[in-house]
Amino acid sequence: MAEGSDRIRIRVNGVEHTLLTERSRSLLSVLRDDLGLTGTKYGCGSGECGACTVLLDGRAVRSCSTPVAHADGRSVTTIEGLEGDGELHPVQEAFIEVQAFQCGYCTPGMIMGAVALLQRDPRPSELEIRRAMEGHLCRCGCYPRIIKAIQRAATKMRNRGS
Amino acid sequence: MSESMTRREFLHLASGIVVLFHVGGMGRAFAAGTVDNASPADFNAWVAIGEDGRVSIFAPMPDAGEGLRTELAQLAAEELSLSVSAVKVVLGDTDRVPAMGSVCPSEAITNIGQQVRKAAAQARETLAAAAAQQWGVDRAAVAVRNGRVELVSDTEQWVAIGELAGCHRLPQVIKGEVPLKPVDSYEVVGTSLPRLEGLAFVRGEATYVGDLRLERMAYGRVLRPPCLGAQLVRVDTRAAASQPGVLRVVDAGDFVGVVATRPDLAERALLSVQASWDEPEQVSMGTLYRQLRATAKLDKQLVLRGDVEAVLAASPRGYSASYRVPFAAHAPIEPHGAVADPRGDGMVMYASTQHPFLHRDAVAKALDLGHRKVHVIVPAIGGAFGGKEEIAYSVEAARLARAVGRPVMVTQSREEELAWNSFQPAALIDVRSGLTGAGRIRVWDCDVFNCGARGATPPYEFESVRVRTHTCRTPLPQGSWPRRGGMANAFAREVHLDHIAAELGEDPVALRLRHLEGRTRMKQVVEDVANRFGWRDRYPPTGLGAGFACAEDAGSCAAVVAEVEVERSTGLVRVRRVLVAQDSGLIVNPDNARNLIEGAVVRGLGSSLTEIVRYEQSRVLTRSFATYQIPSFADAPTIEVILAPNEEHPPQATGMVALCAVPAAVANAVFDAVGKRLRELPLLPGRVRCE
Repeated sequence: MAEGSDRIRIRVNGVEHTLLTERSRSLLSVLRDDLGLTGTKYGCGSGECGACTVLLDGRAVRSCSTPVAHADGRSVTTIEGLEGDGELHPVQEAFIEVQAFQCGYCTPGMIMGAVALLQRDPRPSELEIRRAMEGHLCRCGCYPRIIKAIQRAATKMRNRGS
Repeated sequence: MSESMTRREFLHLASGIVVLFHVGGMGRAFAAGTVDNASPADFNAWVAIGEDGRVSIFAPMPDAGEGLRTELAQLAAEELSLSVSAVKVVLGDTDRVPAMGSVCPSEAITNIGQQVRKAAAQARETLAAAAAQQWGVDRAAVAVRNGRVELVSDTEQWVAIGELAGCHRLPQVIKGEVPLKPVDSYEVVGTSLPRLEGLAFVRGEATYVGDLRLERMAYGRVLRPPCLGAQLVRVDTRAAASQPGVLRVVDAGDFVGVVATRPDLAERALLSVQASWDEPEQVSMGTLYRQLRATAKLDKQLVLRGDVEAVLAASPRGYSASYRVPFAAHAPIEPHGAVADPRGDGMVMYASTQHPFLHRDAVAKALDLGHRKVHVIVPAIGGAFGGKEEIAYSVEAARLARAVGRPVMVTQSREEELAWNSFQPAALIDVRSGLTGAGRIRVWDCDVFNCGARGATPPYEFESVRVRTHTCRTPLPQGSWPRRGGMANAFAREVHLDHIAAELGEDPVALRLRHLEGRTRMKQVVEDVANRFGWRDRYPPTGLGAGFACAEDAGSCAAVVAEVEVERSTGLVRVRRVLVAQDSGLIVNPDNARNLIEGAVVRGLGSSLTEIVRYEQSRVLTRSFATYQIPSFADAPTIEVILAPNEEHPPQATGMVALCAVPAAVANAVFDAVGKRLRELPLLPGRVRCE
């Protein structure tokens, strides 16, 4: 293996993985290229577009700018890990109901960012949604719909007592 | 190894009814350059009904997010009275869909939709005629419904369409008119069916090029010059060759690339390549418009009506001005990328492209193969916006794949995406106009430099009109598509009209309406948006402005009002609200149409306020989302869309026309707010500032 390789243990979507890899390698690269989890996307490689967003111990991080060493011993949730018991997460449901996408490429990152926001703040105002999601870019221009989807998901989650 | 099918092979392979829509009058538009006579080049939308009753639609254009797949399924399902779930749509696979040559994507969508509709209708008629003949009754006595043909008077008597299809092996070729289902009986077209890909999107299961995982696939990166026009003088790849994971370093003179077992290893290896370059030309932005004017050559005289010079000379009032639009980047969130998979002596290509056949032909040529040896498949595309028309990256992947004898993926970094692809053309547009003493615009004379003819013909009733387009030598690459000037041309025209209105002391909307007699579709959307906004009674408070613009593009027309807030001291413009009234003919999927129009407004704001490709000393400086600013959540205004239903017109492309009108509407709103007339995009704070 390449120099600077270390044993890294991460729990991804509930499954323990042990890898031997360079500590400085991005978490995004490990997820996509070692673990086959291609739902998380590359958009810019510099943390500016949000397409690579995953949850690290429940907090949204840009996996393109997170060294895998930073995830050592911690828990990562990707878009593939959101569903529970074959049921979509309320944010995923809301995105479908509102049709908050066109090309779908930014969608996984948007959803993960929204999940993190709603876990932190179950009742965000529209302004708070815009601010929290500011680092997520959508070139197709679906921002108004994404805001609506997040508001709708927030209502669903409050109603279900999640 | 896959080979493109010959027509004869296709006809033998296909069982059941196959409907091939004959090009007829559209032959010129759809002629594929290199396809030989034996291939079904003259059929550009196919509907096939198998013996199992399944309906498949084959169409050339891939879906880049605009919902083409869903809408084609709706059109076919409607004509065949089937549920959409019984229809399969095959797009963007050069072995399976009809060939298509040089057609602008948004216009092709219009034509393809219409052809699929007719092909499905023809299939329906063929099925009905077959059953009617079988039962010895008239056509009117049978109905095609839910996968069956039934006897209307006794629905217990029916035959499955698959069974009928099995008995009729000859393909049907449409040459004339086919009876389409009457619009007032529509059950599927005109409904907001959710996008077929939605579930895959939210689960992260849609497969884009970068997500493909082929056996033994390796990853390639290509050496880029430090600036435009630089020529490689010397290269030393020894350090790269010994980097971890590197399989091969390719040095082909004009092309240096690295192939490795992981993308980040290819990237790292590439960084260790030592190269010297010859950097001849040094172009910078400051000379852009001067250069366009200085190198201009007359290309086409698009319109000439009346003696323009004479009318201009005779006009008691005249207004002339020049308008400027800079280079812009398409900037999809998914960068360009391709996977090349060598198979035998041929190649299978997976590419994020709107033009699979151009890729096929370019790769075939680069590898010295017949085009039948190259098979292009388009996976999901993460946005195109007119930018996924490059072919170089597919050729790069193919060359690297051939060098290592295994599949190679080449995807661009964000920096490559923003700095090394073709740009949205810059534009310089001169407008001269002449009015009668009473304020009627008599003459409109326009010279369009560089951006081409799209949208250049004014949609108004002017007595004399001349539009000339000029090609120019450009400092940045702008691709081979000449017709991308829709937004630039609309900007020049609509800001100029706003200026005329201000000079006349007339309401800008009233001025438009005065010159739109007979243009009923445009008049309708102008009225719709003005009424919804409350334009005639508007009294914006100080610091707010309202601006109007309208545009025509690819068979659609849109009227836009933008309401802005301008901070005089900084020049910051905040767009608070945008209203759009749009006529796109028959709307196949209303919610999808709204989605596209909203998106077009957001993208239009980027052109209006922040997007400009910066370059100095032939180096593109805007290489990241930090420096090339595209609209974000903070920028999204309240958007209201009024769909003007127009069922007499076939479905038209929906996603571009509002974008064409937005920048002029915003510029006109800025004028309304602070009295500053800006004729150059984007409306940067430094330009808007007025204290």
